[in-house]
Amino acid sequence: MSDAARWLLPSMHDHRAITDAIAGPLVEGQAGRRWWIALLASLLVAGVGAIATGISFAYGPGMWGNNSAVVWGFPIANYVWWIGIGNAGTLISALLLLTRQKWRNAINRFAEAMTILAVSIAGLFPIIHLGRPMYFYWMAPYPNTMDLWPQWRSALVWDFWAILSYLLFSLIFFYLGLIPDLATLRDRKGPRRWRRIWGAFALGWQGTPGQWRAHQRLQRTMAVIATPLVCSVHSIVGLDFAASLMPGWTESIFPPYFVVGAYFSGFAMVLLLALVIRHALGLEAMIRTAHLDACAKMLLAAGSVMLLAYGSEWLSALWTGEAADLRFLAFSFTGPYAGLTYGMILGNCLLPQLFWSPALRRSVPVLVIVALGVLVGMYFERILILCNTLSIGYEPAAWTLYVPTIVDFLILAGTAGLFVSAFLLLSRVIPLVPMYEMRELAEEARA
Amino acid sequence: MTALALASFEREAAFRAAVSRAGAEQRRIVGLWSPYPVELGDIGEEPAAPIPWIACLGGLGAAILFYAFIWWTATQAYPFDSGGRPLHSWQVFLIAPIELGALAAAVAGMIAFLIRARMTRLHHPAFDIAEVERASSDHFVIALSCDETEGGDVLALLTRAGAVHSRLVTR
Repeated sequence: MSDAARWLLPSMHDHRAITDAIAGPLVEGQAGRRWWIALLASLLVAGVGAIATGISFAYGPGMWGNNSAVVWGFPIANYVWWIGIGNAGTLISALLLLTRQKWRNAINRFAEAMTILAVSIAGLFPIIHLGRPMYFYWMAPYPNTMDLWPQWRSALVWDFWAILSYLLFSLIFFYLGLIPDLATLRDRKGPRRWRRIWGAFALGWQGTPGQWRAHQRLQRTMAVIATPLVCSVHSIVGLDFAASLMPGWTESIFPPYFVVGAYFSGFAMVLLLALVIRHALGLEAMIRTAHLDACAKMLLAAGSVMLLAYGSEWLSALWTGEAADLRFLAFSFTGPYAGLTYGMILGNCLLPQLFWSPALRRSVPVLVIVALGVLVGMYFERILILCNTLSIGYEPAAWTLYVPTIVDFLILAGTAGLFVSAFLLLSRVIPLVPMYEMRELAEEARA
Repeated sequence: MTALALASFEREAAFRAAVSRAGAEQRRIVGLWSPYPVELGDIGEEPAAPIPWIACLGGLGAAILFYAFIWWTATQAYPFDSGGRPLHSWQVFLIAPIELGALAAAVAGMIAFLIRARMTRLHHPAFDIAEVERASSDHFVIALSCDETEGGDVLALLTRAGAVHSRLVTR
C-alpha cells in the first residue's frame, strides 16, 4: 500500500467523489436538526457569557475573583489557554506542509479555522481584563493630543502586537488555502446567492499552471514564516511571566515550555474536532482511523515533553534551595490548589501515556477522554501558573487565595459557546477539508 | 480561420500525455486548467515568480521601519525613565517588529501572488468555456489553438491521449 493510500479509502480515489462528499453538503444539503440544536445551544451559552461580560463592564473587575494579590485570575488564564489552542492550528498546518506529511491534507483546514476562532477569542481577554476596555486602543501607537506613545517595554504591548500579527497572518494563510476550493463551490450548481459570494472570494481563480505555481510558492513561503512566528507568539506569552521577578515565573524554560503546551492543547482540540467532523459530515473515508492514530502519537510525544518540562521546573526549584521557590513547590503539591496540580498531572502527563497502546490510539472513546483530559489539564496548568505564584509571592502579608466567581465561570463558558457556534456556522459556508489537496492525494493513492 | 480545440480529461496522466504530445507536435497551447497542481515540466509553465523574495523584502522592510519608529518614540518623542532601564532597550524593542515583520511578509507575498496569478479578475473569457467550470472540480482541461482545417487532426491527437470529451470551437 502506498503512503497516500493509507490516508484515503479506495471509495475516495476519485476526484468527483471527493468533491461531492465535501462540497455536496454545502451547496445542496440543508442543515440537519442536530446542527440546529447544537447551534442554538452554543448560542445560548455564548449569550450567557456575553451577559456576564456585560455585567463585568458595567460593574467592573470587582465582579471577578481577582484580588489585590492574584490580579490576573481567570481572564489571563483564559487568554493563555485560548491562545495556546489557537497557536496549534497554524503550527500544525505549516509544520506538516514543510515536512510533506500526507495526513495533513485532511486536517489542516479545520485546524486553521480553529486557530482563527481561538485567537480571536483569546484577544478579547486582555481587553476585558484591562478594567477600562474602552481604552484598549491606547496600546496602538497613534498621534494624539497627549503626545504619548506606548510603553514598548510592557508585556501588554508585546501581547498586542503578537496577537494582532498572528491573527492577521493566520487569516491570510487560511484564506490562501481556501481560494481554489471557493472556486470549486462557485462552479458547482447550487444556490445562486452563495455562488456569487464564493465567486467573489475566489477572486477569479481558474486553476491554470501559473496560478497553481504562484499559490504553492506563497503557501510554502508562508509556512516557513509561520513556524517561527507561532513559536515567537507563545514565547511572548511565556515571557509575560518569565520577564517578571516572581517565584515560579522567573524560569528560562518558560518560552519553549509554553510553545509545547500550546501545541499540546491545540492538538487535543484538533483531535476532538476531527472526531466530531468525521462523524457529523460523514467524512470517515477521508479522516480515517490512521489520522486519529497519528494525532494520538503527537499527543503522546507532547505529553511526554510536558512531563519532562514539569519535572525540570520542580527540580530547578529544589536545586536552587531558594526559600520562596521551595515554598512555592510545597504549596503546589500540598496547598489548597493541590487538587488542580494532580488533575493537571493526570490530564497532561498520565492520560496521554495510554497512547503507547496502538489499540487505544484507535479507540474513539479513549481518544475523546484523553483529548478532554488534556484540555482540562492544560486549563488547570494555566490557572495554577497564575494562582500558585500570585497567592504565595515574596511578601507574606500579601498572601491571598484566589476563588473564581460565577461571573468568571460564565465568561469562560461563554467563550466555549462562542467558539462552537462560530465553528458550526463556518461548517455551513466553507469546506472544512481542503478539496484540492484531497484530490492530489487521491491521484497519488490511485497511482 | 482559427479554431480552438478543447478537451477534458478525467485522469492526470492522460492530461499530461496530451500536454506533452501537443508540445512535441508544436501545437499552440492557449490554456491549461487543473483541479490541483500538476507538474508539467517546461510546457505551460511560466518563469518562477519571486514571491519568497518579495515576501522577505516586505517583511524585512516593515520590521526595520517599525524598529526605527519604536526607537524614535522611546528615545526622542517620549523618553520615559522606567526603573532606570536604558531608553533604547533594544532587546525588548525587537519583539513587536519581528511580529509585525512576519505579518508584513505575508501581506507582501499575498499581493505578489495576486499580481503574479493575475487574480481578482472576476470576469474572464475562460469562464465562458463550459469545460473550465469542471476544471475546478474533477476534470483537467486543455485548449489548443489551430487552423480550422487541421481541427480534426488536433481532436484526434487529444482523443488518443485519453480525452473523455473534445470539441472544436471556431472563432
